[in-house]
Amino acid sequence: MAEVNMEQLLNCALCPNMCRCDCPVLQALGHEKVAPAGKARFAAMHQQDHLELSNEIIEAIANCLGCRGCTVLCPFPELNLCDELLYARTPDSVDQSGQLPAWEPYLANLKKYGSPYGQKPPFGGKSSRGSDVLYFVGCTALANHPESVAVIGKLLQQAGVNYQLIDEDCCGYPAETWGDPNLAHSLAAENIRKFVECGAKKLVTCCPECWLIFTERYKKWGFELPLEIVAAPAYFLGLVKEGLLKPAAIEQTKLSYHDPCIWARTAKLTKEPRQLLESIPGITIEEPLFSGELTHCCGGGRMFQLSFPKTAEEIAKRRLSEFTVGAGIVTACPFCREGLSQENNARIIDLLELLANACCS
Amino acid sequence: MHNLPQTVIQESRVEQQTIDTFAREANRIVGSDQVSANPADLLANSRDYWPVNNIWMIEGRVPALPQLVVWPGNTEEISALLKLATKLKVPVTPYGEGSGTLGGAIPIKGGVSLDLKRMNHLLEIDEESLMVRVESGLNGALYEELLNHAGYTGGHFPQSLRCSSIGGWLACRAAGQFSTRYGKIEDIAVSLEAVLPDGTIFSGRSVPRTATGPRLDHLLIGSEGIFGVITSATLRIWPLPEKRHLISYTFADLKGALECIRLIMRTGARPAVVRLYDAQETGNHFPELGDQRCALILLIEGTAKIIAAEAEVIDDLAIASGAVDCGPEHVEHWLEKRFNISVASMLFQKGAVLDTIEVSTNWHNAHSTYLAMQKSLLAVEGTMLASGHYSHVYPDGAGLYMTVVGFPGSDKLAFYKRIWQAAMEACLAQGAAISHHHGIGLHRGQWMHEEHGSGLSVLKKIKKALDPENIMNPGKLGLEEGKLWQK
Repeated sequence: MAEVNMEQLLNCALCPNMCRCDCPVLQALGHEKVAPAGKARFAAMHQQDHLELSNEIIEAIANCLGCRGCTVLCPFPELNLCDELLYARTPDSVDQSGQLPAWEPYLANLKKYGSPYGQKPPFGGKSSRGSDVLYFVGCTALANHPESVAVIGKLLQQAGVNYQLIDEDCCGYPAETWGDPNLAHSLAAENIRKFVECGAKKLVTCCPECWLIFTERYKKWGFELPLEIVAAPAYFLGLVKEGLLKPAAIEQTKLSYHDPCIWARTAKLTKEPRQLLESIPGITIEEPLFSGELTHCCGGGRMFQLSFPKTAEEIAKRRLSEFTVGAGIVTACPFCREGLSQENNARIIDLLELLANACCS
Repeated sequence: MHNLPQTVIQESRVEQQTIDTFAREANRIVGSDQVSANPADLLANSRDYWPVNNIWMIEGRVPALPQLVVWPGNTEEISALLKLATKLKVPVTPYGEGSGTLGGAIPIKGGVSLDLKRMNHLLEIDEESLMVRVESGLNGALYEELLNHAGYTGGHFPQSLRCSSIGGWLACRAAGQFSTRYGKIEDIAVSLEAVLPDGTIFSGRSVPRTATGPRLDHLLIGSEGIFGVITSATLRIWPLPEKRHLISYTFADLKGALECIRLIMRTGARPAVVRLYDAQETGNHFPELGDQRCALILLIEGTAKIIAAEAEVIDDLAIASGAVDCGPEHVEHWLEKRFNISVASMLFQKGAVLDTIEVSTNWHNAHSTYLAMQKSLLAVEGTMLASGHYSHVYPDGAGLYMTVVGFPGSDKLAFYKRIWQAAMEACLAQGAAISHHHGIGLHRGQWMHEEHGSGLSVLKKIKKALDPENIMNPGKLGLEEGKLWQK
């Protein structure tokens, strides 16, 4: 089990929270209990045996998107509050409660199907067994946009890249988020087994949460990754720079880019998606009120669309209000695509699908 | 482990039956999802950033709990809620972002914590007359970002900018770091909309000035929630400055530096930022300048030609006062670090008791008040540090900001009370005012009589007239003797 860093957690709990303005949950709900320090105080008091971990307290602490918005202005460089909150509410042993009833069906799905969404739909791409590149789709893209597998597959084929798909399991992040680290570890173990078995050297994923869990957690959980993990925006920009993909002009020219939190703040991928957009002739990018590392979460981080759907919708509404009316919004994350689409389907465009449109039509 | 932690200064609670009645009616007014008796909500709204709350938190205790938290979405809902609270005699404590440093948001008599964070919209920018209408629950940093995006600044930058709200600024009569140019919140506020305990909604006219009797809406600036609830405000704004000029100096002593600043203010120059640090704080904040001299940092902004003239006037006076020009980099450093108060969290964990105490002086007692307060603070057993800086200046005086840190061992609260007693006695003896911009809240109320004299009874009469049932933030602003804390 992950250890809570009490010194860092208390640093936050004792701080007036200069980061409050960057917590999307607080800004959407306006409830003090979900303020960064509000959550940190509950977590710290629980860790010090001053507060029982009731469902109300678990729910408050779990109202964190993992977006790391609070780290932007945080004066404590070693504090990762999103993770400290997660560890603080995770039970030390299986017989302790640490899960909310609302999460149970998703955990059951994970155990049965390896996806929180239930039975996985059939894959649409052309998988070439033994290829060096493994295209890891991720549960959310697979559940909500199964057609994207074929579109991205086409893009890879256009670039002359042989790729393979595997019968992937959830990366484990949702299980960890929902307070079942043992399940997270077993999903990770199964994925690692499949990575080794497929023999790929490089894993390309469009899902920032999968990327995060592979790059940050798997090592912490004691797994050795047998392949390199690559974020899709960086990978496809490479293909464009190498001249393997040659985007042509498309109908839409005025676009905004919504930075997914993990790509922007953890992977530091803010220039690459914009360069990809700019590789399409005639595109102009209109920046929203908050962009780059200062981006605001869409409401989809840490499975919020399943865990707290109403709050996720509120957060998405706020984020959408930060964009210029009329410009199409491009994003590069299945959660952002899903979250922001709740408000207005027509305006949200997936970055790689846009690229495919520019390269393959 | 307990379901809810023990309270320390809970003076009373409303009978549960009355609270249940209030909750039923409030559900009807604001919707059931905006009324909560969830322990997590009660606990979250039990405190603000008064340092004593942190001492108690480490011990697993909280100051006092509300019995309900309610999140209104508009002024009409607040009107209905206050009418109901008056009828049922339920205390109401307004809650913004919880950054107050004197316990003003603690619901010591239980009742309702009225959380305004849902009222967070910037309603309208009047670009012609340079005004903005904004709801009181909007976070300060988001307010400034929204204005910047439109090409303006609100000119108000308290250190709490990122963790305070518009309503909080107005209710505690706040001052920002750029206030010498832009003014304090009372100068920035054109008009307010507010709700009184009987449900009356009223607002002032949004014109530059009126001579139509006293500005009743301005009565709520600094009222700390005791008269009613500020729901929105029209505030002055400025076009984003064309240019910014940064300059710093060091002086051989504080007295000479103060005299130089006094002379600068007489010329009519209005730098946005004027901050003068004693030698100790100079060493702490700008170690490269050493700890033997006093640093003055200045930031001038606005139209390039005016700035150039101001910079010249200031430089002439500084050099004539024997100051050493230290360039812009120390001001850049301050700009970068000005919201960083991480040291407070770390010190609390190490067992320290710390606070900042800001007072208001004229020029004749600006230096003597510093000396007297520092001497008194250092005389308290356990004090490790008592330093100061001047953070706001005027033609008629300056705001003095003392920082005190001590390691008192086991009885932290007794030490806390002793340092405040020492500081306030010294301040009053020098003829300074007991608060410049943090306000009174719960803790500083005990010196309100010495501060105001017979003026306090006037305040009490106004309170009685506006809030006969004493529902609004009872126990604050020194109107009642604290039953548990002050004793």
